[in-house]
Amino acid sequence: MESNKKYWKGLEEYNNTPDFVKNNKNEFAEPLPIEDVLNEAGLSTVTPRRDFLKALGFGLGAVTLAACQSTPVHKSIPYLVKPEEVTPGIPNYYTSSFNGQSILVKTREGRPIKIEPNPNAGEFNCGTDARAQASVLDLYDVSKLKAPVLKNEETTWAKIDAFVKGELNKAQTSGKKIRIVSSTVNSPSTNAVIAGFITKYPAAKLVQYDAVSYTGIIQANQNSFGKAVLPKYNFDKADLIVSFGADFLGTWISGEEFTAQYTANRNYKSLENKKMSRHIQFESGMSLTGTNADTRVPVKLSEQGPALIALYNAITGQALAGGTLGNNATADKVIKLVAKELVQAKGKGLVVCGSNDVSTQILVNAINAAIGSYGTTIDLDNACHLYAGNDAEFAGLVGEMSRGEVGAILFLNSNPAYDYINNKTFTEALAKVPAKISFADRADETASLCDAIAINHNYLESWGDANAYEGYYSIVQPTINPVFNSRQAEESLLVWADAPVKDYYQFVRSNWETKVLPAAGLKWEDALDKGVISTAAKPAGAYSFSLSLAAVVTSISNSSKSLAKDIELQVYENVPMRDGKNANNAFLQELPDPVSKVTWDNYVALAPKFAEKLNVKEFDVVTVKGNNGYSVDLPVLIQPGQAQGTASIALGYGREKVGKAGNGVGKNAFPFVSFVNGTMQYATNVTITPTGGHYELAQTQTHHSFEGRNVIREATFKEYLKDAGAGTGKGEEGHKNYDLWDQYEKPGNNWVMAIDLNACTGCGSCIVACNVENNIPVVGRDEVRRRREMHWIRIDRYYSYETKDGDVTREKEIAKLEDLDHVSVVHQPMLCQHCDHAPCETVCPVLATVHSSDGLNHMAYNRCVGTRYCANNCPYKVRRFNWFNYWNDSRFDNYLNNEFTQLVLNPDVTTRSRGVMEKCSMCIQRIQGGKLQAKIEKRPLKDGDIKMACQEACSANAIIFGDSNDPNSEVSKALRSERIYYVLEEINVKPGIGYMTKIRNTDTTVQA
Amino acid sequence: MRDISMILKSVWKSLFLFSAISVLAVSAANAQDAKEGRTLFKAKCASCHALDAKLIGPALTGVSNRHPEAFLLKWIPNNAAMIAAGDPAAVKLFNENGKVAMTTFPELDEAKVKSILAYIKEGEPKPAAGTGAVAVKDESTSGLSIAGIVAIVLVAIVILVILGRASKLLERLILQKQGIEIEEDVPLKVGVRKMFKNKKFVMFFILCLIICLGSFGWMGMWETGVHTGYQPVQPIKFSHELHAGINQIDCQYCHSGAFKSKNASIPSLNVCMNCHKAVQARDKYDGEISPEIKKIYSALGYDPETQKYDESKTKPMEWVRVHNLPDFAYFNHSQHVVVAEDAIRKAKGLQPTEPVCFACHGPVNTMEEIYQYSPLTMKWCINCHKETDISGQKNNAFYAKVIEAHEKIKKGEKITPAMLGGLECGKCHY
Repeated sequence: MESNKKYWKGLEEYNNTPDFVKNNKNEFAEPLPIEDVLNEAGLSTVTPRRDFLKALGFGLGAVTLAACQSTPVHKSIPYLVKPEEVTPGIPNYYTSSFNGQSILVKTREGRPIKIEPNPNAGEFNCGTDARAQASVLDLYDVSKLKAPVLKNEETTWAKIDAFVKGELNKAQTSGKKIRIVSSTVNSPSTNAVIAGFITKYPAAKLVQYDAVSYTGIIQANQNSFGKAVLPKYNFDKADLIVSFGADFLGTWISGEEFTAQYTANRNYKSLENKKMSRHIQFESGMSLTGTNADTRVPVKLSEQGPALIALYNAITGQALAGGTLGNNATADKVIKLVAKELVQAKGKGLVVCGSNDVSTQILVNAINAAIGSYGTTIDLDNACHLYAGNDAEFAGLVGEMSRGEVGAILFLNSNPAYDYINNKTFTEALAKVPAKISFADRADETASLCDAIAINHNYLESWGDANAYEGYYSIVQPTINPVFNSRQAEESLLVWADAPVKDYYQFVRSNWETKVLPAAGLKWEDALDKGVISTAAKPAGAYSFSLSLAAVVTSISNSSKSLAKDIELQVYENVPMRDGKNANNAFLQELPDPVSKVTWDNYVALAPKFAEKLNVKEFDVVTVKGNNGYSVDLPVLIQPGQAQGTASIALGYGREKVGKAGNGVGKNAFPFVSFVNGTMQYATNVTITPTGGHYELAQTQTHHSFEGRNVIREATFKEYLKDAGAGTGKGEEGHKNYDLWDQYEKPGNNWVMAIDLNACTGCGSCIVACNVENNIPVVGRDEVRRRREMHWIRIDRYYSYETKDGDVTREKEIAKLEDLDHVSVVHQPMLCQHCDHAPCETVCPVLATVHSSDGLNHMAYNRCVGTRYCANNCPYKVRRFNWFNYWNDSRFDNYLNNEFTQLVLNPDVTTRSRGVMEKCSMCIQRIQGGKLQAKIEKRPLKDGDIKMACQEACSANAIIFGDSNDPNSEVSKALRSERIYYVLEEINVKPGIGYMTKIRNTDTTVQA
Repeated sequence: MRDISMILKSVWKSLFLFSAISVLAVSAANAQDAKEGRTLFKAKCASCHALDAKLIGPALTGVSNRHPEAFLLKWIPNNAAMIAAGDPAAVKLFNENGKVAMTTFPELDEAKVKSILAYIKEGEPKPAAGTGAVAVKDESTSGLSIAGIVAIVLVAIVILVILGRASKLLERLILQKQGIEIEEDVPLKVGVRKMFKNKKFVMFFILCLIICLGSFGWMGMWETGVHTGYQPVQPIKFSHELHAGINQIDCQYCHSGAFKSKNASIPSLNVCMNCHKAVQARDKYDGEISPEIKKIYSALGYDPETQKYDESKTKPMEWVRVHNLPDFAYFNHSQHVVVAEDAIRKAKGLQPTEPVCFACHGPVNTMEEIYQYSPLTMKWCINCHKETDISGQKNNAFYAKVIEAHEKIKKGEKITPAMLGGLECGKCHY
């Protein structure tokens, strides 16, 4: 059955605006920038005949002279004393960990160049997110300080030590407080170091402060069950997931891990067993998780509390006050449906909520207890240690500082001058502290106010450890000598505390050998080799909820009432930028937001109808003024699916002192956060007034149009159960295909890919992984606006709705479609399809792109003359043109234009120069490397020997790569799935990448 | 110029070879014992002892005078036993030399020890000059003879011209004497001018010029960027002839990467020090350390007197790359020398004693200084990929599937890399 849905990527496509039509006529939005190119060379674009002849003569002469040049002298400098484990040309892999997640660091000749997930990590081996992939670039960031700084001047470590020790002793003897402000410390060794420091300076105390806080959940668990912990959520054990504003596939607690768990119940393997979980999302702004939900219901922020009360009432049959959703009939109806389903799924349901309000989280606990989630889908006994920040404690500290009670303050991995809710209060309070020391790697917003900056190592230069979950330990291992004259923060603390062991490596090692390793029965070297140690998990206990909810419900109702006025603003973390700590990472800045596809900026997201009501259009600049008086001017982005009467702004932007790439990108939204009832609240009221300005966001969404052709195939779970091939369009009467070309022989391997649209969540970590692996340049905001982004793999995000009345499901019936509130979304990774009958190959006049005997479409950069015919002829729009020498052009200064950052390049992949085409090579360097390894070892290639960069990074295992000539390979099995379809199959280019239909679990057995 | 220097070099080489051979011949005649002793000394002793200098162990010249032969015959094979047994002379010797334990050599019987002692007594054989003149054949003579022939032809032409002129003059004189008046010769200048007024001749001349310049340009363009014979000056006058040729050190010893990685890799200096801590070639420099070996020491901050390294004095060794491939071409050594070794040996007709490296790098064992032997052009790569028969890879399990498939296409015929996709762009350019 051919799908009768209409899919569109952006509103301009949906409305078919004149601009969209105009831009879509051409593959390249603008003609070749001859002027730019010539200006770069200092030439004029108007060329009189004589100048032309002069240039011609000079050119000819220059070429002749260049040709006469004798052999170029290249210096070759070997190691003086080669480390035993290094063989030039062969990568070494070291275990380490990033934010508590165990990883492998790939190094070449001593340079870390790529992050891979650690296969030893067992249950926590769940791919890597975009931040982890991009983190290698931070190591070589030239915006970092190159030496420690004392009173704004570069200095030596000896002087820093003398100064800090003096100040600490002064604070200690004068009876003032010493405070270490840090984001959550889950490293056992760092905690031990800090404990030692506190022994030396008893006035010291650690204050944990997270820019985006989870205090609400922790305190709710303390209140409900006497356990002040963040629980371990088991999405893989949940058949029914109901989320209230928790972006658990993206930014909530641990996105990659939850993605792996979540997709385990929804991917092709699970579907083959006729099993698929169901996911319902209530939220105001469209989040990554919302786009993946089977049913997504937009609710206002003020309706979230009442919706939870209504859900509790419907499940337990109680009648708590305030559970009415009078203005949102859809939500009201869906809540009743969901309540029935949750009761039915007892023990296999899970309700999560993104709110940081203690009362709201207590109510969520009560709901989860009522549906029997504790012990199955929620595990309180193997707690998560990723976030332990305490909002009230930090607010208290700011009070202490302003009262002059604090004698010395140390900032470790925290930047409150940027991300505290009221940075003016904070900076004023900070000025009253006599000694301010920061461990930041750069003079950031907080560090620049400090007396001393004891620059810390990057994690790739550090020793350390992490304890992300109870009983799960990972080691941080240095993979390079410090790039700059930095010193590890822990070592600084050891030195300042006059500890007997000042070498942090020795400290970590002895700490592990005494505390961690005996339980696991491992030696240090073995632990280092594995990278992780996982002790047996405790059995998850069932918890019952027995508190009275009266006070809780009153509190929720009150906050909800106070929120229900003006425009409700939600500030949220988006997937690329998160809390803004890595804002100087150009890979992350250019990673399109998974939903809006905006790069290099944040914006105010408004629903289409609501924007009309406010009389603003897309890209209009508006002033957003919060009820605390803070205001910013930001462009508007029209976001289908955004709840009416609400707006959303991403955090993490508006950094001022982070470096060339991140400075002045977007506006800071942290001051919109408010401190209510002891926790940070990320919802507030604002007014929005147009300024009359216009600002074009660099959005990639409609850059590569399929001209309305149907590239997405989807079916409901019910249809799938009836017919596994539902929605693929197979078995329909198609037109007859004729082949102009001969079939290619593929006698050896045939490299192909299968992509499971039901597993792909659209998070974008594959994009960054591909960038790092293949030396793909970052082009910057202006170039993205000109549609010149270089990403070899992109994730197309399609909105859709049903057009025929006959086929609407029950949820769709409830939904009123005209207001674009209830759109559904499909994410489709799109990369070179390596067509067997590739249209690009036919039109290349110089045979720069040709087919190989193993099913790949090769691209020989040195042959390409840049006619760009191939890109014009590519039906999938996956070819990219190098408009500039991005790695050596001062206009792209945020990235590779210095000797440090260039160290991140993968030496096995050519850096392309101006004027050539490029596209996904199917990581040919990995294919060739894997084949060679097998040849040397004289064995046949095994399935899984070769993995693509995108595939390895994927938490959801949505990308399966392999040899289709091997009938037992995973990809062969996947491609035999009945869900497989090929994009634009009808044009008969025989693509090498099969997609599996998107399945939505929208039909349920529960009767309304 | 390069040609001439190459010719000179080969002349030098032949002289050198010749003298080496004669040296060997002399010593062979004189002392069979000492010769065996020398070999044994180099193999067993030289890493710690030199004749004239203290290395790890003491200098050995005159050792037979310092110790009785009976003692040496016991000490050399098993000094540890003597020290353990408390032999006073042995303990004294041990203490005198910083209590550094000497390796035991149970494999050295009395005859062998005696021949070592004979060698030590006799010392390094001095090259005897001017005996046994045997012509050494060298392929460079062919180059010389061609030059010689050309010179002879040129001389002959000059003589012919002179003779011709002379006979003409004589003829004229005779005719003049006979009273026959002859016309004066047309002056050359006028003749040339007349010739250039002849349109046919001008046409012909221009045509010739175009053909000459064209073919010259054509040939020149093919040679552009091809640097066969490129031989840059290296920071250390390292002789592959000495190391790989005379001393027969395996290529892998220094270029260990070639068999594992895409890079053959230039050895780091600690590899040099494996030998050159002991080998200092003092005999050739009047007891001084060879200035070239000194360069290794100074780069590493190594003091040969104290035998200690000073890391603050290290400086990198900047070799000049001889074999330059373009950046966009991916070449992997291990692919060729490990996987394809047999096929390449067969295709290039290498002797079993020659390392597979010679296939592309040429006779490295005769290169005093390394130079680029192969053109390293893409045509050169492609030709080899088209011609090399790799059907011998049947015993490599990797090819089992691939060859199976191919046999369906071409039964029993030769298989080249080209047939396995070895000519596809993406195999080398990515």
